[in-house]
Amino acid sequence: MGIGIWSTHFTAMLAFRLPIPIRYHWPTVLLSLMAGIVSSAFALYIASRKKMGPVRALNSSVIMGIGIAALHYIGMAAMRLAAAMHFDPFIVALAVLFAMGFSLLALLLTFDLREESRGTPLRKILSSLVMGAAILGMHFTGMASASFVPSATPTDLSNVVDIDPLDTLGISTVTLLILVLSVVSSAVDRRFYAQRLQLAWAESKVVLNHTVRVGAMDELTTSLAHEINQPLTAVVTEVSASLRWLALQPPNLDEARSGLARAIRQANRASDVIGRVRALLKKTPPPMRALNVNEVVHEVLVLARNELHGHGVRAKTETTVDVPLVLGDRIQLQQLMLNLIINGIDSMSMVNDRPRELIIKSAPHPDGVLIQVQDTGEGLDPEKAQRIFEPFFTSKPEGIGMGLSISRSIVEAHGGRLWATPHSPHGAIFQFTLQRAGKEK
Amino acid sequence: MTERHSIVFIVDDDASVREALKNLIRSVGLHVELFGSATEFLETQRPDAPSCLVLDVRLPGISGLDLQRRLADANVHIPIIIITGHGDIPMSVRAMKAGAIEFLTKPFRDQDLLDAIQVALERDRTRRQREAEIAGLRERFESLSPRERDVVTKVVSGMLNKQIADEIGIAENTVKVHRSRAMEKMQAQSLADLVKMVERLDGSTAKAS
Repeated sequence: MGIGIWSTHFTAMLAFRLPIPIRYHWPTVLLSLMAGIVSSAFALYIASRKKMGPVRALNSSVIMGIGIAALHYIGMAAMRLAAAMHFDPFIVALAVLFAMGFSLLALLLTFDLREESRGTPLRKILSSLVMGAAILGMHFTGMASASFVPSATPTDLSNVVDIDPLDTLGISTVTLLILVLSVVSSAVDRRFYAQRLQLAWAESKVVLNHTVRVGAMDELTTSLAHEINQPLTAVVTEVSASLRWLALQPPNLDEARSGLARAIRQANRASDVIGRVRALLKKTPPPMRALNVNEVVHEVLVLARNELHGHGVRAKTETTVDVPLVLGDRIQLQQLMLNLIINGIDSMSMVNDRPRELIIKSAPHPDGVLIQVQDTGEGLDPEKAQRIFEPFFTSKPEGIGMGLSISRSIVEAHGGRLWATPHSPHGAIFQFTLQRAGKEK
Repeated sequence: MTERHSIVFIVDDDASVREALKNLIRSVGLHVELFGSATEFLETQRPDAPSCLVLDVRLPGISGLDLQRRLADANVHIPIIIITGHGDIPMSVRAMKAGAIEFLTKPFRDQDLLDAIQVALERDRTRRQREAEIAGLRERFESLSPRERDVVTKVVSGMLNKQIADEIGIAENTVKVHRSRAMEKMQAQSLADLVKMVERLDGSTAKAS
C-alpha cells in the first residue's frame, strides 16, 4: 500500500512538467517510500483491529494523512532542479487536511465492510477509490502549493537519478506489481478471516454444547418424542381396536380392515418423522479430507481453554510428531474431541485430593492413528462402562446422555472405533482410532 | 341397555389419535364424540346422558389441565381421564388431585383406557342416578303444605308429637294427621326412612351452597 502511494506520487510527478529538467535524489526518494510504507502499515494495523471507535478512526486517519503528506514532501525534497521551491503554507495545510479527510473516509468504509460480512465488492471498490482520491487530492493540492522560482544556484547532483529512464513503463510496472501484491495480501487476509470465522463458529459450538445439556437439546428431544409418540399411539390404538373388531362374534372385518389401514398410515408417519430428523442431521455428507490430528487436538484445546481454566484442569498433550494423516471432517473431529474433553472436565469436577489433569495423546496405530483422552476423574463404574455409549444414558445430573453416543457415531462415520478403559490409579481413558488417509476401506 | 346411550367425549388435537381412540371405543359399543380443542368442547351443547371425557394434556389454546379446572369451576362433574404424551409426576399428581379418574401416558394399553372409561361411566351413572333421586325427593318435599313441612322438620329433629303440638299450638291428633300425610307424600315407609330422606336433601343443599 505504501509502495502504491509512492508510485502514485512519482507517476503523477511525471505529469508535472517544468521548463527545466527535473532529477531526483534517490536516498530521499527511498526515504519518502519508507514514509508511505510506515504510515500505511500503521493504518492497516488499525483497520485490522477487532473494533474501531470514532476516536481511533480519527487518530489513524490523521497519521495516515500525515504519512501521505510526508511522502509527498519528502518526494518533493528529492527533486533536484535548477529552481527554488516555495510552498504556500495555507495550501499545504489544505493538502494535509485533504489527505486526512479522505483517509478517514476510506478507513471507515473499509472498517464497516470488514466488521459486517456484508462487504459487497462495490463497497470495497468505493473505499479504494476514496483512498486513491485521498492520495491524488493530496498530491495535486500539494503541488498547487509549490511555486518554482528559477535559480542560478547549481544543484547538488550527487546520488541523482533522472526519473525519465524509469519513465512511465518503469513506474507502471512497479504499480502493477503492487496491485498484484495487494490482491495476494487481500486473499491471504480473506483466508485468515475464514479461519477466524470457523474458529468463532467452533467456539460457539462449545457454548452450544453446554447449553444443549441444559435446555435446547432437551426441548428438541421433547418435541421429537412428541412427534413420534403421537403416530405410535395411533398405531397401537388402531391395532388394538382392530383385534377387538376381529374378536367379535361374528367378526367385523370391515372395521378391522380400515383400522389396520389407518395403522399403516400412522406407522409411516412416524417413520417419516425419523427420516426428516436424519435428513436434518446429515444434510450433506461431511467433506472428508486428509488432516493431521495433532492440529485438531491443538485447535480444540484453544477452544476449550476457558472451560479447562474455569474448572482448574491442566491439559497436556503428548502427541507423536510424525503421526500419519487421517481422513476426516475437521469440524466433526473437533466436536468429538470437545465432547471427550468436556466429559473429562466434568468427571474431575468433584476431584479435590489430586491434580485435575487431562492428557491428550496421539500415536500411530495399525488402522491409522490412535487418540487418547485421559483424565484423573472419578473413573468408570464397571457396571456403567458398558452402557455409557448408549443414547440417553447419563451419569450426570444435567446430562441428557447424547454426548458419547454422538461421539461414537462420529468415530464410526470415520471408520474408526471409540472405547473407554479405566486409568489407574484414577480416572478413565477414552480412546478412538481414525483411518489413515489414502487407505481404502 | 343404558350402555348404548353412554357417550365418551374425546379432546385431542391430533386427528389420527382422535380417530384411533374413536375406533377403539366404538369396538366395545360405546358412542364417541370428537373434539380438536378445549374451546370446541366447551362451546358444544352436550347431550343429557352418562358420559366421560378423555382429555389430552397438550392442546392448542386452553390446555387439558386448564379445561379440567374450568369444568370444576363451572360445577360440571363429568369424570375425566387424562392422556398425555410425556407425563411427569407433578403433572399427574395435579390432575389426580383435581379429580381425574386416571392418568395415562401415550401409548397406553387399550384395556387400561377401556377400564378407566368403564369406571368413569359407572361413576357418572351413579352420580346422575343420585341427582335424579334427590331431584325426586325435592319435588316430593316441595309438594308438602307449609304446615306438613314444619311438622316433618320437627319430627326429623327428634321431637315427640306432643312437643310439636305444644310448640305450634295445635292438637296432638292434628299433628298425627299432618305427619301421616307427609309420610305418604314423601313415600317414606318408616320414620327412619323419612329421616334419611331429609338428611339427603339437607346434604345436597349444603353441598350445592
